[in-house]
Amino acid sequence: MYIFPKNLYTDVRIEDVNYTEITYRNGELTQNLRRNYKGAFIRIFDGHRWYYSSTTDVDNIQNEIDKLALIPKENENIMDHPIVKKFEVHKGEYLQFEENDISKVKHEDKLGLLKAYFPIIENKKEIKMWRAVYLDRKVTKEFYSSKGADLKFDYQTCTLAFRYSLNVGGKTLESGYDKTDICFDTLKELDSKLEERLDRDIRYVKEAKPVKPGKYTVIFAPAVTGVFAHESFGHKSEADFMIGDETMMKEWPIGKKVGADNLSIVDTGEILGSGFVPFDDEGTKAKKTYLIKNGILSGRLHSATTAAALEEELTGNARALNFEYEPIVRMTSTYIEAGDKTKEELISEVKEGILVVDYNHGSGMSTFTIAPKISYMIRDGKIAEPVNISVISGNVMETLYEIDGISKEMEIISSSLGGCGKLEQFPLPIGTGGPYIRVKNVTVQ
Amino acid sequence: MIKEKYVNRIKEISINIVQTGIESVRKKDILKTGLRVYDKGYIGIAGGLGSVNEDELERRAIDNLSLKVPYPYEPSKDLQKEVDYREGIPSEEDFVSEVDELLNTLKDQFPDFTFSNKINITEVESRLVNSVGLDLDYKDRLVIGQLIIKEKASANVFDALALYVDRQCHKDQYLNIIRETLDAYRNPVKLPREDKLPVVFMDYDRTPITKLVEELNGYKVGTGASLFKDFIGAKKFNESFTLYQSAEREDLLDPQFFDAEGVVNEGFKYALIDKGRIISPYTDKKTAHKFNLPLTGSASGEYDTVPSLAPRNFKIQASNKTLKELLDGQLAVAVVIASGGDFTAEGNFGTPVQLAFLTDGERLIGRLPELKLSGELYSMFGKDFVGKSKDKAFLGQNALVINLDVEYL
Repeated sequence: MYIFPKNLYTDVRIEDVNYTEITYRNGELTQNLRRNYKGAFIRIFDGHRWYYSSTTDVDNIQNEIDKLALIPKENENIMDHPIVKKFEVHKGEYLQFEENDISKVKHEDKLGLLKAYFPIIENKKEIKMWRAVYLDRKVTKEFYSSKGADLKFDYQTCTLAFRYSLNVGGKTLESGYDKTDICFDTLKELDSKLEERLDRDIRYVKEAKPVKPGKYTVIFAPAVTGVFAHESFGHKSEADFMIGDETMMKEWPIGKKVGADNLSIVDTGEILGSGFVPFDDEGTKAKKTYLIKNGILSGRLHSATTAAALEEELTGNARALNFEYEPIVRMTSTYIEAGDKTKEELISEVKEGILVVDYNHGSGMSTFTIAPKISYMIRDGKIAEPVNISVISGNVMETLYEIDGISKEMEIISSSLGGCGKLEQFPLPIGTGGPYIRVKNVTVQ
Repeated sequence: MIKEKYVNRIKEISINIVQTGIESVRKKDILKTGLRVYDKGYIGIAGGLGSVNEDELERRAIDNLSLKVPYPYEPSKDLQKEVDYREGIPSEEDFVSEVDELLNTLKDQFPDFTFSNKINITEVESRLVNSVGLDLDYKDRLVIGQLIIKEKASANVFDALALYVDRQCHKDQYLNIIRETLDAYRNPVKLPREDKLPVVFMDYDRTPITKLVEELNGYKVGTGASLFKDFIGAKKFNESFTLYQSAEREDLLDPQFFDAEGVVNEGFKYALIDKGRIISPYTDKKTAHKFNLPLTGSASGEYDTVPSLAPRNFKIQASNKTLKELLDGQLAVAVVIASGGDFTAEGNFGTPVQLAFLTDGERLIGRLPELKLSGELYSMFGKDFVGKSKDKAFLGQNALVINLDVEYL
């Protein structure tokens, strides 16, 4: 245990990371990496400013604490500071992956699993370039604080990802298929799903025509719903954007009606997968937070700093990209809750619209944008021809009222090769998802 | 067996700003060392963080040859070069004071706005040295300010950005950039008309060239997946459009003069499109060898990974005209924040623009409402390509001008 400096708040986060990355490009091995490293991040708070140090010298953390403690001013009342009072104190070991440890799976088995899928891709002549990736990451974290936290926990994910470029008579498409889970065995027997995805994309590249720009009713598939929830509302729920901002506080009071009656958006670190955060990087235990419940603004995401400033409760959303960074307010798994219609009912009620099945990227400020990858026209209640769309967009706050149908079917998807970007910290693993949602008056370009 | 060491070090002081005040100071000193061995057409790599035992790393790298990662290419050799771009920069204590002063000025001069995010001093060193006479060493140190600006009366998460990148810490220059931005922000204006208009992208904005970068990938060209697969050597773009990979001193963001395979281009640059003609896609050793393409030095990699093909610092050649001369009396749309747009597979471009200013080429006149832009790849860099300015008319950056269809969102 460390000797923490007097009259200051201090915490130490130590990360022990096991990482595997295997990449083949057009069947040729290009990366075969096994990496293990340890790093630490130290925070000291004097009630006025925070002082941070990131180090790989984990055997000398005490020295690093002592050195860093020379900069701040001592504060006898530091333990009464509202931020310090907010910190939860947990003790004990919460190791869930000792038995099913992904880092203990034989390296040859990981290679073998990946290579077993190659024939499916190699049989498709339309695929000109492809990449097959296996990734896994097991992280064991320790967290100690001068308030008494003494915590050890772990989490892990493994990923299969295929990326491919199609070129059919000069028409091209970049696409892929991913699966991320917490258990190696779940990456087996995905043959039919991969084959299905490849066939879909080949048909798409052959048949897709440019869309006629305009305003449409658009149905988002779960993956697209997820990025919409994350980008359009999730980021606005991160309370660090609100500290000291009276306009934002007036604009976003808890209890305000912000969307359609059937709309509920949730963030939680409790779901196993890329957004699983049993304890955040300030030692707060995961919680389920309704951002919107039945159309009413119900909560926001917090670190201790933002929870103290807004006099709200901790939510377990202080996350750092890795040991080189301080925790900031981030999402975990963010999703829209399921509704009461079937996917088929949603589609059948649209005279002319668009179904967006998959996307390349999304963003959200006052306007949300999604760059669709795979989309189809809906005509007379049926899925019709595929269309190429560069971007769909809309005003976030208006669009939340434009959701007029939500499906029963839903899916939460773990990020695989990418993740969420916020300021300098990218890519942070997250989960996103939800049901099919139908949105009116979306601008399509 | 050839042995090679790749060392990356990053030292950083990062000041985090919240509500126009310093919230935290972060110090970082991260050393990453990779040891590579090449033997019988294979590469073995091992890496470690912090102080490492190089004998141990070498033993692990040799062990990792058994992972059978093919690398049948000759490692770079017989070249020693050291480039040190570092210039004088204040001490940590002085830097914190400078930022404090800047923030106090901002509070005084722009009381209707708040400022947040980071101002950093980042020092990097990369060294690649091997047993066949290669020793390349690159050092640089930058002050990077990325302030997010929010109008106090606005309900947006943020409303504007102000970027500063330099090897010197000139807070007055940064203040000028912020002043240019906010003076224009406070003056709402309208488009001259909804039509094809000159659109100005700032130099650090990669938005308009994303599709070019994607399609110039050497592996994609070689395998026939690229739109440009049949156009190498063909003139497809405007005579005045030249695009090159650049690691010149003036390229402040990532001008490391060698790639992860130790390839150094003459003059630290390589033209991929020259006067509208596609000369070559970008390649690493594997891609160049496999598809018989020129080697352009485009290998990237972390300290402990096998170097692989990745786009490096792309730059459009500046014209001999100022921005005002390029606009030739027209008013233009200067894009500051355009988030979320993309190209379709066939090259159609569309993006919303969250923040744009009207400009006459000399100054930012006023803030435009949210817009949407559209264009098409071959036109954007063909008949609609106007050029890149030789001057930095505003926001401390050169500017690229392309005629695009502009409408209100």
